[in-house]
Amino acid sequence: MSDFTISRRTVLAGSALLLASTALPTIALAQTPKKGGRLVVAADSEPRNLNPAIVASNAVFFISSKIVETLAEASFEGKDGLDPRLATGWEGAADGLSVTFKLREGVKWHDGKPFTSADVAFSALQIWKPLQNLGRTVFKDLEAVDTPDELTAVFKFARPTPFQLIRNALPALSSVVPKHIYETGKIEENPANNAPIGTGPFKFAEHKPGEYYRLEKNADYWGKDQPYLDEIIYQVLPDRASAASALEAEEIQLAAFSAVPLADLDRISKVPGLKVITKGYEGLTYQLVVEINHRRKELADLNVRQAIAHAIDKDFVVKTVFLGYAATATGPVPKNDPQFYTADVPTYAFDVAKANALLDEAGYSKGDDGKRFSLKLLPAPYFNETKQFGDYLRQALAAIGIDAQLVNNDSAAHIKAVYTDHAFDLAVGPPVFRGDPAISTTILVQSGIPDGVPFSNQGGYKNDELDALIAKASETLDPAARTELYKEFQRKVAADLPLINVAEWSFISVVRDTVGNVANNPRWAVSNWADTWLET
Amino acid sequence: MNPLRRFLRAREAVAGAIILVALFAMALTASLFFPGDPQAIAGPALLPPFQDWSLPLGTDRLGRDVMAELFHGAGTSLVVGLAAAAAALAVGAIVGTLAGFAGGLVDEVLMRITDAFQTVPSFLLALAFVSIVGPSLGVVVTAIALGAWTGPARVARAEVLSIRERDFVAGARVIGMHPLEIAFREVLPNALPPVLALSSVIVAAAILTEAALSFLGLGDPNRVTWGGMIAEGRAVLRTAPFLSIIPGVALVLTVLGVYLAGEGVVETTAVRRSLS
Repeated sequence: MSDFTISRRTVLAGSALLLASTALPTIALAQTPKKGGRLVVAADSEPRNLNPAIVASNAVFFISSKIVETLAEASFEGKDGLDPRLATGWEGAADGLSVTFKLREGVKWHDGKPFTSADVAFSALQIWKPLQNLGRTVFKDLEAVDTPDELTAVFKFARPTPFQLIRNALPALSSVVPKHIYETGKIEENPANNAPIGTGPFKFAEHKPGEYYRLEKNADYWGKDQPYLDEIIYQVLPDRASAASALEAEEIQLAAFSAVPLADLDRISKVPGLKVITKGYEGLTYQLVVEINHRRKELADLNVRQAIAHAIDKDFVVKTVFLGYAATATGPVPKNDPQFYTADVPTYAFDVAKANALLDEAGYSKGDDGKRFSLKLLPAPYFNETKQFGDYLRQALAAIGIDAQLVNNDSAAHIKAVYTDHAFDLAVGPPVFRGDPAISTTILVQSGIPDGVPFSNQGGYKNDELDALIAKASETLDPAARTELYKEFQRKVAADLPLINVAEWSFISVVRDTVGNVANNPRWAVSNWADTWLET
Repeated sequence: MNPLRRFLRAREAVAGAIILVALFAMALTASLFFPGDPQAIAGPALLPPFQDWSLPLGTDRLGRDVMAELFHGAGTSLVVGLAAAAAALAVGAIVGTLAGFAGGLVDEVLMRITDAFQTVPSFLLALAFVSIVGPSLGVVVTAIALGAWTGPARVARAEVLSIRERDFVAGARVIGMHPLEIAFREVLPNALPPVLALSSVIVAAAILTEAALSFLGLGDPNRVTWGGMIAEGRAVLRTAPFLSIIPGVALVLTVLGVYLAGEGVVETTAVRRSLS
């Protein structure tokens, strides 16, 4: 929990400092960066599609954010939490119907062609809006992108769209890909999806399946003197236990995204030359959530949902499942979010007696065997922690007389069972909070989402009040009023429990102390690493 | 010399038998010593063994009692091992007897099916079956039996081929017994001993396969299994190796015990047969 509070404070302190003296170029570096060297990092998966404009997910960003850049990146100290990348300035119209981006001059694609506003228009209209998993929601009202000159792109929206949302969406949703590569043929089948071409500090060099990805320095990069590294190798190490030994053996220099199991961190932090870093993931908060199928008549009863919330010892989960590297959750917005979070929501203290009383009150008394009813519980298989929490939840439910039967599936089968077939009563899911509730959070409770959309409300929950609130917030342009609506949203969700938020966690990096400029922005692991350097 | 005494003379066999008896004792007394759910959280997480005598073997990452899990896991291993072996032997014996006794087209068809099953590695077959049907105890048993029945089938067929030429079979034919009756009442019982000799290997292999499936997360998640315990412990192998070592040792001893005891029985009976 402490790491979240600290990081939040750092964010605030950082922005205050910069506001005070905008003349400071960057926060002073402890050492001067050196040029050259090869950074070897652990990769635990090999995404099928490496195009971040289509698949906006951390597994893809981890590799391709070095190759394909976004319009802006998240930042600890920049204005509105942003640092310019391909765009140097952005401005929203007062009526919410347009956003103007000023683009960076002199940027070249890796194949030598110049980067222009046509590329931004093409990416936004042809890829982000129709094809991207997250862009479909955020850019749904994007009608046209005007390009008055080569360095200006004006996004036109059919309905008022909050500028705050567009800003918050820039770091994850605005990967720009080259129009001249993608304009012929089907975008989904373009070979560049597996060998991306971008404007970033590194060029895609090769991928040996099952072995490694190799990225090499882009000598024509727009950043002055950047990048520092000559090469980045992503060593494929699917076995989580092996990342720790590879670090110790100096085969790799960085294991991000908690590739080293939490239980090993205590030991590995004592190994000379290795550092355990909890910073650099503030913009990628995962939420541990109990998804509820409201089609089950027992679970449609608010008393039962409240009983389940009271049965979960969130402190135990943080301490035992996450070994302290997490924070307890109060509602659908994580505590470390600087813009929207409110603590003023109904809370559910760990209280087994109260949970039992609520269930008795709801009319589900214990049978002779001490059981009230049976449930199917599907823990998501993506993280060790979601699986372990599944084991814990089964025990927590047993304590209040609910017999939960675990069903284990692989990723594909889990997604189908929960989000398409609705063959679950309770599921454990890890949705991601992406800096704005409208990007990937409201979809978890909103009704009317077609079957099969993953990480959305597939539990048959329908609450007209909440739906109206979400709709209103999506067209409220004033940031203060919009933030207030999302605070109301948090209160309503915590009161009616369409799902139960248990904990919030981020990732841990383990890195050799020869690597410089680590964790210097809130999405560091998925940022472009142009300023990362190696002590040789 | 009676068979029991001969069995008791072989030291390996006795060691195997002792292990097996201990294992059965563990499985049978599990709910006596550790009533309730063995997966209930019993204490602080990651307690090392021999620290707290109410939790003699320590606790796992969630604070579950390793000793209780070990006892309950013994039951799962034995049930799966014995049930899978019984199913494999039954299917194998019937298929082998039918093929050997009927001969001709029936033999051809049955043996080609056996060949087909034999060409697929039995573990892959089990893996595929469980991941399609979904993990539960019955499915795991079926999956293991699916890959194990071919050995008994081939042995039974070979044995039946020689037995069906014996005089007593001809005699049975002459008195007008139905061929199926001859096959299963006269021939099969005589063909069984060498088939049963395979049982110890099959039980041992079945226990290992179950552990491997659970290790890969394809065991029944609502049941404690040793393979599942090893898999759970793998994430903390460097900091709490006992979580993997304890069920691992239990698994090794069990397989060894089954094998040694089985060998002992086979040798004893083999000597008896050759003496008679």
